[in-house]
Amino acid sequence: MAADAARPAGDPEPTGATPVFVARGLCKSYGSGDATVHALRDLDLDIMPGEFVVLLGPSGSGKSTLLNILGGLDAPSAGRAAWRDHELSGADEAALTAYRRDHVGFVFQFYNLIPSLTARENVELVAEIARDPMRPEEALALVGLSHRLDHFPGQLSGGEQQRVAVARAIVKRPDALLCDEPTGALDVETGKIVLSAIARANRDVGATTVVITHNAAIAGMADRVLRMGGGRIVSIEANPRRRPPEDLVW
Amino acid sequence: MKVLDRKVLRDAWALRGQVLTIALLVGAGVAVLVMSVSSFLSLRAAQRAFYAESRFADVFAEVKRTPRALLARIAEIPGVALAEARVGGEARIDWPGAEVPVAGRVLSLPAGGGQPELNRLRLLAGRLPEPTRHDEAVIHAAFAEAWGVRPGDEIAAVLNGRRERFRIAGIAHSPEFVFTSRPGNPLPDDRGFVVLWLGEEAAARAFDMRGAFNELALTLAPGGSEAAVVAELDLLLRPWGGRGAHGRRDQPSHRFLEDELAEQRTLAVTVPLVFFGIAAFLLNVVLGRMVEAQREQVAALKALGYPSFPIAAHYAKFVAVICLLGSALGIAAGAWMGAGMLGNYRPFFRFPEMPYLLPAWLPLLGAAASFAVALLGVLAALLRILRLPAAEGLRPPRPASFGGAGLGAWGRRVGARAKIPLRGLLGRPLRTALTVLGIALAVPMVVLGLFWWDAMDSMVELQFDRIERGDAFVALTDPRPSRAVREMARLPGVLAAEGQRIVPVRLRAAQRSRLLAVTGLPEDAELRVPRDAALRPVPIPPQGLALSRRLAERLGVREGDMVQVEVLEGARRVHDLPVAALVEDIIGFSALMEIGALNRLMREDDLVSHVALRVDPAAAQALWALLAERPRVAATSVKAVWLRVFDEVIAGLVLTSAVTLTGFGVIIAVGVVYNSARVALQERGWEMASLRVLGFTRQEVARILLAELAVAALVAVPLGLVLARWIVGLILGARDNESFDVPPAISAATFATAALVVLGAAFASAVAVRRRIDRLDLVAALKARD
Repeated sequence: MAADAARPAGDPEPTGATPVFVARGLCKSYGSGDATVHALRDLDLDIMPGEFVVLLGPSGSGKSTLLNILGGLDAPSAGRAAWRDHELSGADEAALTAYRRDHVGFVFQFYNLIPSLTARENVELVAEIARDPMRPEEALALVGLSHRLDHFPGQLSGGEQQRVAVARAIVKRPDALLCDEPTGALDVETGKIVLSAIARANRDVGATTVVITHNAAIAGMADRVLRMGGGRIVSIEANPRRRPPEDLVW
Repeated sequence: MKVLDRKVLRDAWALRGQVLTIALLVGAGVAVLVMSVSSFLSLRAAQRAFYAESRFADVFAEVKRTPRALLARIAEIPGVALAEARVGGEARIDWPGAEVPVAGRVLSLPAGGGQPELNRLRLLAGRLPEPTRHDEAVIHAAFAEAWGVRPGDEIAAVLNGRRERFRIAGIAHSPEFVFTSRPGNPLPDDRGFVVLWLGEEAAARAFDMRGAFNELALTLAPGGSEAAVVAELDLLLRPWGGRGAHGRRDQPSHRFLEDELAEQRTLAVTVPLVFFGIAAFLLNVVLGRMVEAQREQVAALKALGYPSFPIAAHYAKFVAVICLLGSALGIAAGAWMGAGMLGNYRPFFRFPEMPYLLPAWLPLLGAAASFAVALLGVLAALLRILRLPAAEGLRPPRPASFGGAGLGAWGRRVGARAKIPLRGLLGRPLRTALTVLGIALAVPMVVLGLFWWDAMDSMVELQFDRIERGDAFVALTDPRPSRAVREMARLPGVLAAEGQRIVPVRLRAAQRSRLLAVTGLPEDAELRVPRDAALRPVPIPPQGLALSRRLAERLGVREGDMVQVEVLEGARRVHDLPVAALVEDIIGFSALMEIGALNRLMREDDLVSHVALRVDPAAAQALWALLAERPRVAATSVKAVWLRVFDEVIAGLVLTSAVTLTGFGVIIAVGVVYNSARVALQERGWEMASLRVLGFTRQEVARILLAELAVAALVAVPLGLVLARWIVGLILGARDNESFDVPPAISAATFATAALVVLGAAFASAVAVRRRIDRLDLVAALKARD
């Protein structure tokens, strides 16, 4: 009972494994005085290795702030956040850069590819600074883009660009794959293809994956779905079975 | 205040780094305009005022000796308004403290006392000599200032072989000696040359001119022809030993001043034009990109229903803010530099007053020119984005096509990181070319600033190590038989002595003529070695003349052509002689002959008028003292002393220009590099922030963004060096100065310094932008597409 009481809200059923992400009493506020905005309020969370987590919630619920802190882009105002044995709260800029470089793959809503580099080169760019990357062609094959290696972003569709971004994120064999609204700028069908690529990366590379979305339909493909509101986690659902993205309907 | 106007001010503040660097570019153009035009106008105004006040003569003549009675006939020559005669002569001054004998010129003042009619003196202190006192003199201000002479002091002078003492009655400026130097020297030597004005009685007695005169000055009546008056005068004076009348053009002080004014006028027109041209180009590059980067804002304004005109006016106001700031800085700097430049002239030109004038139209012209140039700079970019349909403008610009997937053979060898700057450079070749050219233009500025040191060094080297190889040059009171050379060679401390014969002549070729002196040199002369353009010694031709190349150009003659030589001394014959060789001279012009041939032309024996000496440095001081005592020695000029004066006078001038132009070079380099980097960051900040999120360090991201500029700067510098050589040649070619020929020699050190200054400025700009890269907002990269 005592252990149960201490169990954080986001903790899944105990499995005996050690969580990779740990957040305790996480707070983030912007501004001061009356103008203070509390993006995160006293949030606790554990995420297990290889887990696929979807963060759902309306704008301003704090999901991006949480992802930014987990990704080493932002520092909490109070509380602690850690990746395995890396303290993320209070780490300096250089340590956070190294953490992102060595452990995290990012996928952005607007792809953020370098326009002057081809698909292969965009992936290669990250491979160049990774410790144990796969070959760029291999990463692009994982997202089904073997036939578009030498195209520039300007020559690719939105969905293709986002798959290049996924390939770029997984080429380093990241421990964590963080995706912020990866389908936000895409139509349904294209979105599904991108989500399949992310799911495949999660499965094949074994990266712990956190996907932000405000699209509840995506929740079906997750191990767990965390709903956020007002800077807190308001509910947690564990899916007994993950549905393949192709089966999602929205 | 309208909202858009508030946007102007806020944008200007937000982009203050760019605004300031662009304003500095504008300011540099305005400063050059204000500086060069105002210093030219001030110098010109000082000249006009002094010439008018002192009634500077139009025509001058020297003659051996003429009875006073001739003056009445001269005054009747048609076209002559007023003629005045006087007595003049050379003097050797014994001045305690001067290491080398001081050369002097003595002129008479009217017999009845008071000021002369022409070439009046402006007394700075004291008074004119009493007509009854033969031992009073007025002394020229330049010498008085250099030695601290005051009224009441005494000065000893050897006139016509007789030593006399004079009490200084007054100190004066004269329009004939605005520029004073020893005859033949192109630079002022205030400590070594003096002008004394005596009462007519005293001067006539000293030079044996009672009832006679040997110098003449006159003014022309309105409409009077200088050429006609000169011709008539020559005719009248010929029987009396006339040495050729001449207009102001051949008056040494006036000619030097006019040369300088002409050079200033050329520079006042060309340099600001060049600068504004460069500024227009840079503003086009820099401002154009800045406006281009605001295309989404323009599109948004258009989408909101703003017509094109207010939007264009909005940007014009933004440009106006930059120009106002730049003009204010430029006008202030230009006025300061102009006054400084005028100050640099003070040792050269002795005017009683030389106030700095800044006419009101000049700053206005500068500001208007800068605004026009800046508007031109943004016009193209503004038209481009105004023509864009609003919807397209709201989308980010289409990614440039990067010309296929690969970079050829390179592509396989370089990593993805290196490809970003490479494709940036090659994918937008025009922009890359403009950036390179912009940075390259900074190099010639710095080179132009530093180059004068090189030029002076090579002038001195060429003229004084290669051509004039003697240590001292002695003028004799009158031509002597050549054994005088052998006598002088026996003086203690003299290592070698070489006689020269110098004869005043008028050279004529077709319509052109020129007063100067022919120098007769021994065939095997070693202390004066004429050289050709490749610096090979030119043997003195046994017959005919060797002329300075620049003199031949002015006379319009080539090797083999004939020139008429009118000898203005002795029997005064006229001869036609061939131009047998051309030689290079840096300072002044020379006309050379074999000394025997010259003496035969004069139908005289083996005579010398000057002696060049090579001197043992250890015995030099004693030798100068010894020479000062010798009755036949009129003047001695010592190369070492002259070179020291040269260094002192030139150093200030050169330093000013070096500092100014180097500053401009830095402004250009910073202006281009900083603004290019800022625009690149503005355009690609999102990309760079994404890279940071992906785990690239600040340094890696900065390297990717700035590599393009680094490559551009590295390409620009060699290009700039080539441009510098070309521009220096161009500017020297446009010079038209008889006193100096500036060799276009640019030293390796100058090139290296210019390259380092520009690269350093580029590096500093990059560091300033690097700070902004460090502050990139990473979270924003994940979100909205700015």
